[in-house]
Amino acid sequence: MNVIVVGCGRVGAQLAYRLVQRGHQVTVVDQAATAFDNLPPDFHGRTVEGDVLSQGVLHRAGIERVEGLAAVTNADSLNAVVAHLARTTYGVANVVVRNYDPRWQSLQEAFGLQVVSSSTWAAQRLEELLYGSEIRTVFSAGNGEVEIYELEIPTTWEGHTLQELLFEAQCLPVALTRAGQAVLPAYDTLLKECDVVHASATLEGIQTVHRRLYPQKED
Amino acid sequence: MFVLIAGGGRTGTQLALLLVAQNYQICMIEHRRDVLARLHRELPTEAIYEGYATDPQVLEQAGIRRAQILATCTDSDADNLALCFLARTRYNVPRTIARINNPRCAWLFDDKFHVDVALNQADILASLIEEEMSLGDMMTLLKLRRGQYSLVEEKIPAGANILGIAIKDMQIPEHCVIAAIIRQGEIMVPSGKTVLEVGDEVLAVTDRAGAAQLARLFAPNNQLVAGSS
Repeated sequence: MNVIVVGCGRVGAQLAYRLVQRGHQVTVVDQAATAFDNLPPDFHGRTVEGDVLSQGVLHRAGIERVEGLAAVTNADSLNAVVAHLARTTYGVANVVVRNYDPRWQSLQEAFGLQVVSSSTWAAQRLEELLYGSEIRTVFSAGNGEVEIYELEIPTTWEGHTLQELLFEAQCLPVALTRAGQAVLPAYDTLLKECDVVHASATLEGIQTVHRRLYPQKED
Repeated sequence: MFVLIAGGGRTGTQLALLLVAQNYQICMIEHRRDVLARLHRELPTEAIYEGYATDPQVLEQAGIRRAQILATCTDSDADNLALCFLARTRYNVPRTIARINNPRCAWLFDDKFHVDVALNQADILASLIEEEMSLGDMMTLLKLRRGQYSLVEEKIPAGANILGIAIKDMQIPEHCVIAAIIRQGEIMVPSGKTVLEVGDEVLAVTDRAGAAQLARLFAPNNQLVAGSS
């Protein structure tokens, strides 16, 4: 895949490097030549120095021939503007935008763009981890609004059903693993100790479930 | 009429003062502390809203939903573009006007981001200077239609090519009309038979190309006007 990465800060440099490692053609654009120092010495993609809103710079970066563009500078409106342009004027198929300051996320979403908010996502993950290690996140959808969690069923819940555990929580069962065998779970399955349940939930939902599984830890 | 202005730098402030003087209702959004201090000395308090213009919540509180015009005058071209786009797509603002900071970004200021009117200060200034340089003694008195046409004045020098020739026989450029002649302090409305004399001040309405051709036409016999092609 041919990809342009706009912005060569910490995120941009790492993204560009990863893409190159996987054999993609990468062009990194930044207005400051010194930003390219963030790239590892063995990076062998292209770099273009210049203002990314200038048509000349975009064309030098090969915007007419790329399949993907990631706008990851620390200026949120710039990311949105470049991404919108890539999608509407140049028809770039995969366009993603980094959100730097969570306050401007809704501005970026107004463009109908795919937004990745690293600070919101990290804050959410850290919050989850603080709640305990009994529940692990195994998959994160969107910006972490919905995640798939892995729960281990404690002795106290032996003989109860999933229906009781997930009742009116924002949480749906995805898989039930017993002795290494996974099945699609039914709500009336009787739980056993050491069962592993994968469930898709919002943060609020998983907190409710967590309280039900480990009530003693709440005070 | 309610006008929302984003960015209280020199351009934004100048615009705000102009509109306030004409009794427009305005609201200026600005977040920089030092700029705000200055704004409070220049504009009525109720016309200033403190906050980031790119924050949709700030825009809403400043009244974007009832704004007839949004003028984006921040020093970031990306902010100005994103604001115009947001104003039209989310808040249906009928008219957007944006300032261009970097002339290289000028190509973006159109329908792509719902910019109705783009003001390119650098471009306006550059073309004014270029025009002044290329037109010799010709003076621009008035710009019409955003600078496409202008009212120009030129004094007929001694030795000019067109001395003794009637206006109808001169090759007056296509988009050009000689509107008046000032001869010894008196205004004359010319006819096709009028013959120009040395020292006549000719007033003409013309487009840019016409102005350059007119300057060449009135130039003395063997003198080239700088910039003529």
